[in-house]
Amino acid sequence: MERHTVAGVSATVNSERSDVDAMTEQQRIQQQLHVFQSSLPKVNELAYQLLFNEIIPLSMAVEKKLLNKTNLQDDQKVAKQDDDKATKDFEKLHINASLDAPSHKMCQEISESDQTKQERVFERVRNIGFQIGNKITELLVFSNNPNLRFKDMDLLAIMKFICRDVWKQLFGKQIDNLKTNHRGTFYLFDYDYRPIQSFSLESGSAEKELALVKPFLELPIGIIMGVLSSLGYSGEEVQCMATFVNRPDDRPKSTFHKGISFHVQVNSQ
Amino acid sequence: MSSKSSGSAQLRSLKIMGEDVWKNRTEKVNAELFTLTYGSIVSQLCIDYQRDFQKVNKQLFSMGYNIGVRLIEDFLAKTALPRCENMVKTSEAISKCAFKIFLNMTPQVTNFSPEKDAFSLIIDENPLSDFVELPMDAMKQLWYSNILCGVLKGALQMVQLECDVWFISDVLKGDAHTELRIKLNKVLKDEIPIGED
Repeated sequence: MERHTVAGVSATVNSERSDVDAMTEQQRIQQQLHVFQSSLPKVNELAYQLLFNEIIPLSMAVEKKLLNKTNLQDDQKVAKQDDDKATKDFEKLHINASLDAPSHKMCQEISESDQTKQERVFERVRNIGFQIGNKITELLVFSNNPNLRFKDMDLLAIMKFICRDVWKQLFGKQIDNLKTNHRGTFYLFDYDYRPIQSFSLESGSAEKELALVKPFLELPIGIIMGVLSSLGYSGEEVQCMATFVNRPDDRPKSTFHKGISFHVQVNSQ
Repeated sequence: MSSKSSGSAQLRSLKIMGEDVWKNRTEKVNAELFTLTYGSIVSQLCIDYQRDFQKVNKQLFSMGYNIGVRLIEDFLAKTALPRCENMVKTSEAISKCAFKIFLNMTPQVTNFSPEKDAFSLIIDENPLSDFVELPMDAMKQLWYSNILCGVLKGALQMVQLECDVWFISDVLKGDAHTELRIKLNKVLKDEIPIGED
């Protein structure tokens, strides 16, 4: 009996000690990761930010050009019977006009275009995001991060990976809040989503502002889907949406007045 | 003699300023993240334009232009550089300050034209095209980093330098160097409001 207790005590002592050891070990590896990551080549965050946000007007510009092209082909069919020269002139014009309209015009056009067109633009943005998400998993998996164990990773662990590591890598901050019902529904709250922090219109046009910012949420949606797909959850079983939510009152003021909520639904099996 | 030495002092100070801004006043992100984001954009464009690489080039250029016209503001705010009086100064500001601050690299300036209105930048370590290998069909036509031309064109236009910017060679195409050419077309005039003066 006594022996048994002793054994039990010694076992707990042992486990405590190994806990302490593991803790320092963990910290040591964390430290190493930090040193490793700061040793990697860097570029200016602003350059990255501009590139990142430019994806949205770019997608609209591409959409317009593809649309123009199909129109042009239609025109050509008609024009072939009518007037060949006019089409040629038009084509020449088309080739010479190499610069698109400025980005803010493009963003405005997205919010004003009809739903099918909008959906096609969003699709393109999500595709780019998807690829980014796919590749960033690789980047993070090979970074020797002690937080990551992919061996028996469940969905919650993957979500935590997105909230913690992916967001940190992309936006320099973690997701503020993660909620789940443990049945495949997740809510990820980001109260200061970085890429849109500098966006605002003149005061009194809050609704228009949200409509203009909306396309910019498609990119992180794509990224989340991309990460999930690279870790085995893909296609039909994953849905993701983003909505604006009010920021909690106790948070420090940010420039953009709304927070973002990402709703991820995974129906596995 | 004295003007020459003051010139070289200025060049050195440009270099020091670029490094100072990069080190102390720049938020930084992982360059690989930048590379993979750009890669995703290019690959989506290739899909959208069904591998018509001329169109991809144009689109990248146009995208860069839109970035450049906004990027220049941050550049001027951070460096507080005065106007460059000639293209030699401009070339130094671009290579030693602008490239250093935004992409953490210093391309080499060479091949000045006799009239000093055109020069080349040799870009050795290009963070846009790290780890990139082009497929055979893209190698002939695609200028992978064409966004840089657009950025330079847009930024220079905002400081009233109307330039042509294009790639001459690219290591991704099997060339020895990546060379980017900038040629000044004209210096845009300051517009005076009608009715004044």
